[in-house]
Amino acid sequence: MNRTARNGFAGIVLAALLMACGGATEEGEVRDNTQEVLDYYAAHPDLFQFKTLADLPADLVWERGEGLPDLGSPDAKKGGTQYGSIQDFPRTLRYVGPDSNGAFRTWILDDVTLPLALKHPDTDYDFYPALASEWAIDDENGIVYARLDPAARWSDGEAITVDDFMFMFFFNRSEYIVAPWYNNYYNITFSNITKYDDHTLSVTMNTKKPDFAYQALDLRPEPQHFYKELGDDFVERYQWKFVPTTGPYVIRDEDLIPGRSVTLTRLQDWWAKDKKYFANRYNVDRIVLNVIRDANNVFESFKRGDIDQFGLNLAEHWYEKLPDTDPDVANGYIHKSVFYNQRPRPNYGLWMNTSRPMLDDQNVRLGIQYASNWDLVIESFFRGDYSRMHTANDGFGSFSHPTIRARPFDIDKALEHFALAGFTTRGPDGILVNEQGQRLAFTITTGYTTMADILTILREEAAKAGLEFRIEVLDQTAGWQKVQEKQHDIGFVALGVGTEMYARFWDYYHSDNAYDDAFLEDGSVNPDRKIKVQTNNMEALASYELDQMIDQFVASNDVDEMRELSHRMQEFVYEYASFVPGFVQDFYRIGHWRWVKYPEFFNHKSPSLATELHVHWIDEQLKQETLAARRAGQTFEPQIRVYDQYRLQ
Amino acid sequence: MLRLNPQTIKKLKRFRQIKRGYYSFLILMVMLGLFVVGELLINNRALVVKYEGEWYFPTYSAFHPGTDFGLPYTYETNYRELKQRFAEENSGNWVLLPLVPYSPNENHSTTGIFRPEAPSAQYQHYLGTDSTSRDILARLFYGTRTALFFAMAFTLATYVIGIAIGAAMGYFGGLFDLLFQRVIEIWSNVPFLYMVIIIFSVIPATFSIFTRISILLTVMVLFSWTSMTYYMRTETYKQKVRDYVASARLIGSSNTRIIFKHILPNVLATLVTFMPFTVIAAVTAITALDFLGFGLPPPTPSLGELLKQGTANLRTAPWIVTSAFGTLVVLLTLVTFIGEAIRESFDPKKFTVYK
Repeated sequence: MNRTARNGFAGIVLAALLMACGGATEEGEVRDNTQEVLDYYAAHPDLFQFKTLADLPADLVWERGEGLPDLGSPDAKKGGTQYGSIQDFPRTLRYVGPDSNGAFRTWILDDVTLPLALKHPDTDYDFYPALASEWAIDDENGIVYARLDPAARWSDGEAITVDDFMFMFFFNRSEYIVAPWYNNYYNITFSNITKYDDHTLSVTMNTKKPDFAYQALDLRPEPQHFYKELGDDFVERYQWKFVPTTGPYVIRDEDLIPGRSVTLTRLQDWWAKDKKYFANRYNVDRIVLNVIRDANNVFESFKRGDIDQFGLNLAEHWYEKLPDTDPDVANGYIHKSVFYNQRPRPNYGLWMNTSRPMLDDQNVRLGIQYASNWDLVIESFFRGDYSRMHTANDGFGSFSHPTIRARPFDIDKALEHFALAGFTTRGPDGILVNEQGQRLAFTITTGYTTMADILTILREEAAKAGLEFRIEVLDQTAGWQKVQEKQHDIGFVALGVGTEMYARFWDYYHSDNAYDDAFLEDGSVNPDRKIKVQTNNMEALASYELDQMIDQFVASNDVDEMRELSHRMQEFVYEYASFVPGFVQDFYRIGHWRWVKYPEFFNHKSPSLATELHVHWIDEQLKQETLAARRAGQTFEPQIRVYDQYRLQ
Repeated sequence: MLRLNPQTIKKLKRFRQIKRGYYSFLILMVMLGLFVVGELLINNRALVVKYEGEWYFPTYSAFHPGTDFGLPYTYETNYRELKQRFAEENSGNWVLLPLVPYSPNENHSTTGIFRPEAPSAQYQHYLGTDSTSRDILARLFYGTRTALFFAMAFTLATYVIGIAIGAAMGYFGGLFDLLFQRVIEIWSNVPFLYMVIIIFSVIPATFSIFTRISILLTVMVLFSWTSMTYYMRTETYKQKVRDYVASARLIGSSNTRIIFKHILPNVLATLVTFMPFTVIAAVTAITALDFLGFGLPPPTPSLGELLKQGTANLRTAPWIVTSAFGTLVVLLTLVTFIGEAIRESFDPKKFTVYK
């Protein structure tokens, strides 16, 4: 919220500055940056290279992503209008630069545009073709070769060529777009792009981790012909211009009603509409997104039928506001569905700062593990819907540890470990004290005001094991800041985890991120070491042994070795016991009106939203029928479905 | 003993005659009495346990682990379960529980799921439970207790400071008055709410609840005594030039005696008028701070926290907001009635005739 506000302010200031500067340039001037771009290519000969097809290595193994499971359902019907809502009118139609990284961006970039190839949502790191019809991976040198589909077209009809990929580097590295993250990413990740002909290119990576191909194949081109006028006024000039897209949906000027709604229209002659992996997706003709600011009003609109689908992840919505007994559900007008998915998830849990007194004792940490009743939280607060997290690195497929299980709530074991740490007698309030009279009490800091209830439950339960949790609920920024400054005893936070191939260990566990010069040359602890702040090593975990494994992991390019190291590191962290794994939401659930149809299997393995892959369709005829039936009081079989084909036990 | 002068007795009699205020006062006193012995009424600790011929009174004592009563655990005894157990065993052991056998912090769900439950006499959740199945009556009771005692301490402190400084300013006048006026002007321009928020964000959570409340009280008093001084100052200025003050000075009374013995009783009416407003302001302030999340740390019960929960579950659990809002209305109404009655009965114009 704060950041949005600040960005908004920055945007206003910037716009004002640009307007002030506007007087200096001549109005109506036709700009053409073709020469500027060519000069840029020439100035960076290492990055941009031009070769001929003859230079292409002969021994490349070309892949076409064949034989992967189909996406979507063959029953899908094209057509219809989908009604949805957005909380805020988008601040811009650009997808880079100030204000562009909002929730609306998924509609114009993430879920709809095409990169070279896409990761298949049902398998581990297999790709299916998108803009590239085939590609070849050179593991040894970290190079990805690709041949563009000659049929590929921008939504304005221009052909998509390798030039658009070359231009993508120019665009994303330029200062014009006011996007430091992109500038940096394109600077450090890739070392070369080579054009062989209009439809053949190669991209070289700076590092060749096992998932390097994913980063290269995920590149999305920028339309060079559209950005001819790219300059210092990018932010303002392109603010409300719809960028030609490689995907199926466009926004027409007349469909942009400021402050009210945005409508996406499907391209009837989209170039990829008959391709194997796209034929049964992107079925809806029109997607109308109305601005509804208040969450309660969104729900009311959905109940009225003005909106087709509504996310019911919260227990409050699923059980209280739209229970199975609700007339619309019981009469079969609204269907409720739960879909279990598999993907890395935010690692909610208790992060103990091991540089704190008492918490540096492994027995105290083990006691805390056994004294934290997450099972009760999951059972009673989340009504058994969520699952226990087992390690901080769950959800990374074979890189996650197959057998480690989080320690259960066990008062006897907790007391046993606390006793080993010297806490043997209970004080007058039932909290353990040691011989020096120290109370076994720690502060849990959090920035999640909505989750304070969870901590009060943990507190009541921990008291049974003679442990006191003091709860400190700060606002989001302050809570995060306190943990980043390593001022916490125990932090209740979670870091977002992307769908990457393997977990990041260096960030969380390397001593580089715990202390300045944690160890001396010989591996012994440096007595003068100082806590390092503003890192993600929230446990101040510093182990010479673990460091070796992390370094080896970072340096390794071998999948098997990395997997084995990943398991060993997770075992180490488990023994060290400084993180109490909390819970994961391993599903999403929605309510949708009867006329919204999903494939029989509902959705694919990794999406976190039902609409992410656009496999659903709208049956207009069914809509008329349902609305008429509802008016006439005619009922249907209620549909409350659980899709647990991807549920892990 | 306390020797009241006839005039004061007259005033008190008059106060008794104003029924609305008088009964409000009685009700509030009964409430205060109940609050003082609250642990005996609403608590998850038993009042009396008779076990194997021995008597236990756990309410105010150190905790009794389950092992004290033959239970297999070392943490605090669950007396509700103990009562049931003794009843089943029928061995002459018994437990006497308070009227409402729940503590404000414990999650007690009748279904195993923590959700708001409607009021139920069967489970002795007379006002229902909140979103994590804690007893609302218990939370309301202890939350109101904190708010009320806080408000009283706050009123007392602001009055002592405000009266002393205000009267001194009015009585001495001159440079002292001038200087303090400026100090107050500057001081009262510091935004109070921000100060509370800032100070509370740096107080370590390790401080006990009582310390935190004391700090909150100190901060609020520090920023609230100023308004009182203005009224005291003008009133004192007015009284200072009256004949009775001159006479007192002539017969050699000290400044302190003149201010507190002669001037103060004459300006009491003004002060008393403001008293209910001060109490209300304090209750509202602590409630608002809790509502905004800057008050006492969870799980401390408070009116503001209940109001917040209530507004979030308006449709699905209306009993939360009803209880909290109802309590607030009753409390503030009582205080207002009392204030009105005091003002009317202490008004000096009823007894003084100027010639």
